[in-house]
Amino acid sequence: MTNSNLQCAMDVLDRQLNQPLIAALEVCARCGICAESCHYYRAEPNPEYVPAARAEHLRNVYRAKHDFLSRLFPSLTGAEPLTEQKLAQLADIAFNTCTLCYRCTINCPMGVDTPLLMTTLRAMATASGHGSEILEIVADAAIEKGKDPSIYLEFFLDSIQDMEKELQALTGNPEARIPVHKKGAHKLYVALAGAHTILPAAAIFNSVGEDWCLSIYEAANYGIFLGDASRARAIARRIVDEATQIGAEEIIISECGHAYYVMRWLAPNWFGDDFQFKVRSIVEIIAEYIQQGRLRLDASANPEPITYHDSCNLGRKGGILDEPRTILRSVAMDFREMTPNREEAFCCGGGAGLVAVPEAAEIRLAAGKPKAEQVKRTGAQVVAAACENCRLQLGDLSGHFGLGVGVVALADLVVKAMRLPGQAESIEEKMRSEARVRSGD
Amino acid sequence: MALNQIMQLLAFIALAFTVATFTHRLRQFRALARPGERSTPKGKPGYGILYAFTLGMAPWAKESTRRHWLAYLRGVAFHLGIFIGLGIFLISPWMPALPNDTKDWLCIVLGIGALLGLAGMVARFIEPNLRHLSTRDDYIASLIVCSFLAISSLWLAGMVGMPIYYLTASAMLVYAPFGKIRHCLYYGYSRLFFGRYFGIRSVLPHGHPNGLS
Repeated sequence: MTNSNLQCAMDVLDRQLNQPLIAALEVCARCGICAESCHYYRAEPNPEYVPAARAEHLRNVYRAKHDFLSRLFPSLTGAEPLTEQKLAQLADIAFNTCTLCYRCTINCPMGVDTPLLMTTLRAMATASGHGSEILEIVADAAIEKGKDPSIYLEFFLDSIQDMEKELQALTGNPEARIPVHKKGAHKLYVALAGAHTILPAAAIFNSVGEDWCLSIYEAANYGIFLGDASRARAIARRIVDEATQIGAEEIIISECGHAYYVMRWLAPNWFGDDFQFKVRSIVEIIAEYIQQGRLRLDASANPEPITYHDSCNLGRKGGILDEPRTILRSVAMDFREMTPNREEAFCCGGGAGLVAVPEAAEIRLAAGKPKAEQVKRTGAQVVAAACENCRLQLGDLSGHFGLGVGVVALADLVVKAMRLPGQAESIEEKMRSEARVRSGD
Repeated sequence: MALNQIMQLLAFIALAFTVATFTHRLRQFRALARPGERSTPKGKPGYGILYAFTLGMAPWAKESTRRHWLAYLRGVAFHLGIFIGLGIFLISPWMPALPNDTKDWLCIVLGIGALLGLAGMVARFIEPNLRHLSTRDDYIASLIVCSFLAISSLWLAGMVGMPIYYLTASAMLVYAPFGKIRHCLYYGYSRLFFGRYFGIRSVLPHGHPNGLS
């Protein structure tokens, strides 16, 4: 660590000083009313976990450079210059003790944008070599993939062919397809790595006769977790370019909170006129199909009590609050709300990349306590979540707190409840009866 | 020139200084970039902004203020007291023309404001989270504003003289641009950004039949 690293971190801060950031730095009255809004504080009432206390660390560094009174009398305001030790502390705070969930902002009488401050800290830490190594590796791998997709394309297409056979077996429709990178497709669906976000979506798209194709890229964008806009842009750029190449009118993001947030709310600002697409989550599309009566669903396929976890990126930060409930009321017999929910929902503790950082496992699980208690209170056997990272965290919380709940995606529940055209039984019933035939029952 | 007039002049010079410094700060702030929003709105940003400045401030609008309703209302009342105190300061040269009944009421209101501010200071001393969060500037700012409200009240009651009143007002006005008091400058912007962020996403205002804890 050198002075140039410190300078680099301060340069990042100075470059990012715009109106929203200055307002967030200046407006806090330190009333402390935000304390219980944070799931970390709820799990462990440590004054350092009060959102305002976290933000004060950055404010102190800002004051030391930019505030007249603080330069004269630093002890009056707590101002302190950035040092190596301080930078390491700031990085730890930003990467390990905040999931950028915006629950503190929504609960702040001033509306202080503390997540913006924490994102700035992440950017400072990343630029000065204090970022999360694993997040950097994942982000850089995604960027490299975008530079030359031919390296893995053949393997990818082979695996999609196998998946297509699975899809045909699942839906009983030999014509069911998973088109990839299809010129002129109306919708470009961007999934995550693995069949679990491709197959259910493909079953749904085929069932309604959608004009769609699958992206050759994954939706995940770990650049955003680093606070590194240039990495995040490079990752998003791959999808924008692909959508442009095939002439898609709409980009559909799989059940992934941060990927949706990036493409829906950030990418249009990054790419300006190059961004001519509508962006929606698969959750919004499914809810629309249900409202249009294009999906035949049988809620009895999901008889167990099911609750829904509002992903912060989709819900509080994305506005997808009603759509999941539209889906669940159509596919589940016993849907139970957590309390609080929607924009007041607790973060599961796995957001902002924490679920991918092994060193953060202990604190992440501890901070998930409020969510675990919420789940327990519903008495649900299944938790549905429309975000991959949330699902991973909820699965871990179930084990850690002995909840004994299953964790599923909304699309999984929809596919289970789907009755295919001309079929009297749902996919779930069909699979069950096929299994019975196979086992000779 | 009588001492009263000298102190009054000094206080209004302090006011001019505060206004000039705040104006300068605001100009600097407005010269900074404000990120544009090119994503297609899901909700109406205007509704979000309207909510942020109206119902969004209600004590029942947020979990935090439902939980800490007493502290929140104390803070709101304290700030109302400050605005009234500033209003009185602006019309102070014409104070003798005010009916005695009105003065009595204002005296009570400002006295309550001072007591509520004092309660806030005490909370900063005794509540662990607040004590952890507080800087010396927080205590100085609270003390200076509470003193202003208390002295204003006593002045209206005829218990302290005009020079003391104007001296206290001057101290508060001169300190305001440098310390915590200047957060008032950014309050409107912060709520504006808040309302726009959640309004454009159709998160607020939002009907949540089962969402209240």
